[in-house]
Amino acid sequence: MNRIILSLLFLLPSSAFSADLTDVDHIVDRAIKAAFYAGEDGRAVTRMTIVDKQGRKQLRQFTILRHDVEDGGKQKFLVYFTRPSDVKKTMFLVHKHPGKTDDRWLYLPELDLVKRIAAGDDRTSFVGSNFFYEDVSGRDSSADTHELIQTSDTFYVVKNTPKDPSSVEFSQYTVWIDKDTFIPMKTEYKDEDGTLYRRVETMEVKEISGFNTATKMKVSNLRNNSYTLNEMRFIKYNLGIPESIFAERSLRSPPIKWLKNR
Amino acid sequence: MKKKIVNLSLERPKLVVTLSILLAIILGAMVPQIKIDTDPENMLPPGEPARLFHSATKEKFGLHDMIVVGIIANERSNGVYNQQTLTSIHTLSKQIKKIEGVIQEDLMSLTEADNILQAGPGTIRFEWLMNTAPSTQAHVDKIQSAVNRLPMINNTMVSGDGMAAGIYIPIIEKHESYRIATEVKAIIDTLDSSDEFHITGLPIAEDTFGVEMFLQMAISAPLAGLFIFVLLWYFFRSISLITAPMLMSMIVVIATMGLLIGMGFTVHIMSSMIPIFLMPIAVVDSVHLLSEFSDNYRPGKDPKQVVREVLGHLFTPMFYTSITSALGFASLALTPIPPVQVFGLYIAFGILLAFVLTVTFIPAYITLLSPEKLAALSRVDHDQDSNGMLAKSMRWLGDRSLASPKLLISLTVLILAVSIWGISFIKVNDNPVQWFSKDHPIQVADKVLNKHFAGTYNAFIVLTKSEGDEKEQFFNAFTQVLSSEHTNKEFAHTLERVLQKSAAHPSFINTLEDILNQLDERSFNATDGQLVVIDALMTLTESTASAEKYFQNPDALRYIEGLQLALLESGHVGKSSAMTDIVKTVHRELRGGNETHFTIPESSNAVAQVLLSYLGSHRPNDLYHMVTPDYRSASIWLQLKSGDNVDMQNVTAFVDEYIAAHPLPKGVQLDWAGLTYINVIWQDAMVKGMIGSLISAFVAVFIVMIILFRSISFGLIAMIPLTITITAIYGVIGFIGKNYDMPVAILSSLTLGLSVDFAIHFLQRSRTLFEETGSIHETLSLMYEDPARAISRNAIVVAIGFTPLLFAPLTPYVTVGAFLATIMALSCLVTLLVLPAVLSLGSSYLFKPSPNNQGEHE
Repeated sequence: MNRIILSLLFLLPSSAFSADLTDVDHIVDRAIKAAFYAGEDGRAVTRMTIVDKQGRKQLRQFTILRHDVEDGGKQKFLVYFTRPSDVKKTMFLVHKHPGKTDDRWLYLPELDLVKRIAAGDDRTSFVGSNFFYEDVSGRDSSADTHELIQTSDTFYVVKNTPKDPSSVEFSQYTVWIDKDTFIPMKTEYKDEDGTLYRRVETMEVKEISGFNTATKMKVSNLRNNSYTLNEMRFIKYNLGIPESIFAERSLRSPPIKWLKNR
Repeated sequence: MKKKIVNLSLERPKLVVTLSILLAIILGAMVPQIKIDTDPENMLPPGEPARLFHSATKEKFGLHDMIVVGIIANERSNGVYNQQTLTSIHTLSKQIKKIEGVIQEDLMSLTEADNILQAGPGTIRFEWLMNTAPSTQAHVDKIQSAVNRLPMINNTMVSGDGMAAGIYIPIIEKHESYRIATEVKAIIDTLDSSDEFHITGLPIAEDTFGVEMFLQMAISAPLAGLFIFVLLWYFFRSISLITAPMLMSMIVVIATMGLLIGMGFTVHIMSSMIPIFLMPIAVVDSVHLLSEFSDNYRPGKDPKQVVREVLGHLFTPMFYTSITSALGFASLALTPIPPVQVFGLYIAFGILLAFVLTVTFIPAYITLLSPEKLAALSRVDHDQDSNGMLAKSMRWLGDRSLASPKLLISLTVLILAVSIWGISFIKVNDNPVQWFSKDHPIQVADKVLNKHFAGTYNAFIVLTKSEGDEKEQFFNAFTQVLSSEHTNKEFAHTLERVLQKSAAHPSFINTLEDILNQLDERSFNATDGQLVVIDALMTLTESTASAEKYFQNPDALRYIEGLQLALLESGHVGKSSAMTDIVKTVHRELRGGNETHFTIPESSNAVAQVLLSYLGSHRPNDLYHMVTPDYRSASIWLQLKSGDNVDMQNVTAFVDEYIAAHPLPKGVQLDWAGLTYINVIWQDAMVKGMIGSLISAFVAVFIVMIILFRSISFGLIAMIPLTITITAIYGVIGFIGKNYDMPVAILSSLTLGLSVDFAIHFLQRSRTLFEETGSIHETLSLMYEDPARAISRNAIVVAIGFTPLLFAPLTPYVTVGAFLATIMALSCLVTLLVLPAVLSLGSSYLFKPSPNNQGEHE
């Protein structure tokens, strides 16, 4: 009898042993931390391939530096473009404050201009790709109400509804959160009519310095079949990047020391 | 041969009638598969270069056919800039996005546009221009001042005078535009608005046209049938007898349309006119046949024998008139316009079928009539016929013609000369929107919207930088760098392979990017020595890639800017939009918003960085309607207030001059696309094609005439009526300033095919009568009796048969109807007036009492 129970237990998937989470806010919180707050800081080289509906490709490459002011809270980013060469040294500085729109600065080296960008919302395109700014820096979880609609063997499926529908182009989105890593593996957006029109997918997850990291992501516009692929490499965590470099003066004189990959 | 056919019809009448009806039933079974085609693009063959380029341009720049909704705020002092109108626009736009078949992301409306503006010192702001309906006057004012600063929106989404707003609805399928427009109308009806709404756009015009075409065919053709029926009844007073030609013309129409549809052709504006063309033409021959039959048949006579006698001398003229009419229409196959070709060939088929049925079906039908019915037929008072109105006027005509032939001919020559002068004024011009009558909602919308806006007609200038030897140069430079790498042959070899492999990409820019990726990849594990080589190669590849993006180059953009400015100043276009407008607007805002910075930046990199800023907006993809992502091709969208091709030609002529004075940058090619431009192409092809088709039909008919009359002189005389008629008709068109459009173009073939019929009958009968009487004077007097009546009846039948066209809601039909009546009257008149004059003047040469003239009518 005991042997039967034992063998049955053996056949069950390992996750069955750890108790499922039931508090949706807790799940969402852990997912956001897993996706956007790994380590105290980080650096990655991102290669972005934008593929339009006709299959025509455009390429952008940039280095992202990140510093967390508080875990799960305020963050600062520097985005330094390396390719194409005509936008080389173009930089973005982003101060993320959950609860209100991000502060963004743009530096255009050829015009020698630093501009503050005050976007009406964070759902504008990130450099012409299918990614929104919000997809890069993370959407504020308090802007939506969350509902755990399913717990499967592998995923927590969370449905999110915006508190202010007029500020966004979607009516709701659903996230499939990996139960082990808490990395959001798939996000699907529906419009007012309930039509699925946009999908964000994590195509590859790697463990880097002990952090599960989404290294390949794809955003698809299902209305016209265009998509953007993000491939992140040379990812490093806890480099000790000082908060002081995430300031306007870094735009004109980039912190080369921290941008170097080798 | 002809006896065999006639005998078969007379001896096996039931078989012939059954077979004829069976033909109609079998081919008629195809009719339900009918596919209507109203796409003006189909005026050109699918492989036509201009059309292929147009389609390629639409694809390349992601352009779609658009329905345009115009909102006119007539009653208000501040135009559309008030809360109510803007709220209506907001509600309408948001609802339109939900309609199935609408391309949401490309919808152009105030609600969908992105605004770029100054938001404090050193700060620019991207925000939706009108994401929510304005609830305060301040919000309204803000929208107004924003629109005035955005050249992409101003005078496109709000008219220059501020009195009107436009919503441009791109749709996936053109043929859904009628349904989508209906749904838009339904939304408009729910709005609480005192504004005026108009819906237009080429797809709507096309779709609506298709619907009206159906109505046309369903109403006009049966109406024509009814008119002809009444007319025939007036001539013959016997329902049972005239049922024969009516039945026959129905068989002809059904069989022809059935065949056309069954062969897989779509029914176009031209082919929709086939039924109404065939109906009168088909019965003409049988009018001759029945005329003579009812004249000759008396009770007691064997109807078969009478039919044999009548067909004995009518067969040849009927055969030749059918051949010539068919030739006239078949010549349309020489025009390069597929719908016109199909129209011409199928009418020709119908005419020949009508001939076959006239000599088989009609005799067979007569044979099947009961003796009682035939007896009733002969009771018609024939005397009345020869003393009626028609007879009297014919005799009057004859007196005029024979009294002063020289004067008449001089007059004719004068008319010819004046007509040729008139032809020199002919203006080739067409515009599918003008196919609707003046008070049609589409025409009204067209007029109103073009009054306020820069224009609802689109054309595109496409500038393309051709691939020169950049690729070769790059490959050479690349290998040169590698050859300097002596230390590590294997490493150099690996990089060489990278180069070869990447060359497989379809576009050079992708090749370069691929090389950059690979170099980048290798740089991370490279030794310091290798890194030097990689860096050199990366610099080379990057600078090549940068230069490849030609339309980021300020010189290229300034050329576009110059052309745009010149076009605007010329007044030929209402507005032009290009990537220059985006670049200049964003540049201005980046520089602080002052108009002095509404310029193109100084370097390619600066342009690239300005554009990168723009790409961070809500609608980055709008850029790619104006330039391809590889920056090798740019488009300039021109809005014209008129779709007339003369206006479009003025634009192309102006651009040609501009290019001559300001040569295009090296390696840049300029091409045209857009439906307004496509119209010019096919109309040009049509005019050239019609000249060819007219000349060849003329020659062919002339040859047939020589064969028929075995005389070159008679052949020439037979060509007189049609020559005068065609010249006069086009002379009149030139004088009255009527545009030479598609329906007018086909009139020449129509005239050629129909007016030669009168000449054939006239000359044929004149010769026969001369043989009988031996006197030219007596012959010509006799010609004004029976033969003249038959010819004028013939003309009346055709002219009346086409009159339902006059009541059509679509102008091409009206044009054809009106001119046809004129053509019939004119060519009938010329035949009856000028031919006798010519014959009497040249009688000594033309009519030699020799036996050579005999034996032609077998």
